[in-house]
Amino acid sequence: MTIMAQIYAVGGGKGGSGKSFLTANFGALFARQGHNTVLVDLDLGGSNLHSLLGFRQVKKGLNSYLNKSVSDLSTVAVPTEIPNLHLISSVDCSLEIGNLFYAQKMKIINAIHRLPFDIVLIDLGAGSTYNVLDFFLSAHEGIFVFTPEPTSIQNTVQFIKAIYLRRVKQILKHYAFSNVVKELAGESEADLVRSPLDIVDRVMTKDPDRGKLLEKELRKLVFKLVLNQYRKHIDEELGNKIEKVCNRHFYAGFQFLGNITYDERVHNSVLAKTIFANKYPYTPTSTDLKQTAEMMLKKSGETSSAIGKYGEV
Amino acid sequence: MERFENLNYYELLEVPVNALPFEIRQAYRNALSIYEEESMISDSFFTDDERNAILRRIEEAFSTLIDKGQRGGYNKELIDAGVIDASLLEKGKPKSKGPIPLFSLKKTGGQESLSARVRNRIERKDFMEVSREILSKSLISGKDLERLRKHVGIAVEEIFEVTRISLKVLTAIESDDVASLPRTFYLKNFLKAYAELFNLDSRKVIDGYLENIAYLKNTK
Repeated sequence: MTIMAQIYAVGGGKGGSGKSFLTANFGALFARQGHNTVLVDLDLGGSNLHSLLGFRQVKKGLNSYLNKSVSDLSTVAVPTEIPNLHLISSVDCSLEIGNLFYAQKMKIINAIHRLPFDIVLIDLGAGSTYNVLDFFLSAHEGIFVFTPEPTSIQNTVQFIKAIYLRRVKQILKHYAFSNVVKELAGESEADLVRSPLDIVDRVMTKDPDRGKLLEKELRKLVFKLVLNQYRKHIDEELGNKIEKVCNRHFYAGFQFLGNITYDERVHNSVLAKTIFANKYPYTPTSTDLKQTAEMMLKKSGETSSAIGKYGEV
Repeated sequence: MERFENLNYYELLEVPVNALPFEIRQAYRNALSIYEEESMISDSFFTDDERNAILRRIEEAFSTLIDKGQRGGYNKELIDAGVIDASLLEKGKPKSKGPIPLFSLKKTGGQESLSARVRNRIERKDFMEVSREILSKSLISGKDLERLRKHVGIAVEEIFEVTRISLKVLTAIESDDVASLPRTFYLKNFLKAYAELFNLDSRKVIDGYLENIAYLKNTK
């Protein structure tokens, strides 16, 4: 029997926005609800998810799979203190793991899709390198985490654009529009491609039929937004506004899941190496986490295909 | 979703075609909070040129829709182009969306209150001649006030609606019923309210009326 896990990727461009924190807490909440959950630390070269879960070190992890000492990725999923919650760490990988080879990347993506769990949560690193983008696009749902600061919003938007551009290129390649891509790549040397929408527009004007196909494919994209470290004095509608702008100016579906209230004690929970939602269950922040986690699961029923091409294994 | 450049003004501001001016104003403010220069969102998404182009369009949309005449012309364009259905423009029942003013006595959303409608009717009517004639008299009787009221076409009950002076008092005033009139202090205030409703010089009305009452008392 094969179980098709629902895969979520948590990314967001900027470091320190709380991607790992949210991954760990969402994972704990899913596990508490009885979902067999595994967290995959794909912040390669910056792994620290294990620390949030109370591990001082993890003996086996992604590296054991990559160097073929184990043949099945699920065997390196170590159980955590929380029932139903497992972790695949990448802390055992070499220091150069950040620069992953293409074959290794594909191997990881394929293995993740075969993991025998209900829910897989992928914790991604900052930045918008190809590895991060491809891991993100390999999930069923992508979650962008940002904080209410201009720097964070900027990086998130850059990340969204990068994801979008990567997907546009994937689609163009998939439908053998490669001549268009080459043409555009040539043009972009002189006139830097700043907005991926430019490409879509150019394809549409040059070749309306293919443009339509591209638009249709792009509309299948479903992205979620989470506003972390929300503080009282900030515009309550900020997340909804960003959702609106994204939906208006990209051909894709964005959904704002909710605000996660800032709490000083998050720091304590990190120091204590415990899950915040378990250590402080009756705080506004934990309530927010719970609600957002529920929102994540509620809407995931419809999408069965991965956002990017890598899901089609 | 339609491309941003192709959105019509209503779609741009995200208001229904039959939106009320206050809704348009609110929507405009919301749009600015996203796209204006100080907004945290806009500088992440857009270059200055793009943002300025968007802001220009929002400005254009707002200034067109907030102006009754321009909006009518624009609606016509949209209907002619087949973008919107003419039936949408008919004023449906305004949705009870948004905050309801705390101290509003209005029971129905869209309709003006009765007192406001009475005031409007008085305002629209030209009765300068009659009022000037009445004010020129040194003695002003209740009959004069009644004559003016009937000339303008206002029922005594409507005066009550606006001024909240009881019908009993109003009829007493208009019929110079000295015995039923309230005490002078109250009477003055009632006369003042009555006179101001018809844009009369209240001091003259009060003086004229009181003198008339005194005259009536003496002649009895």
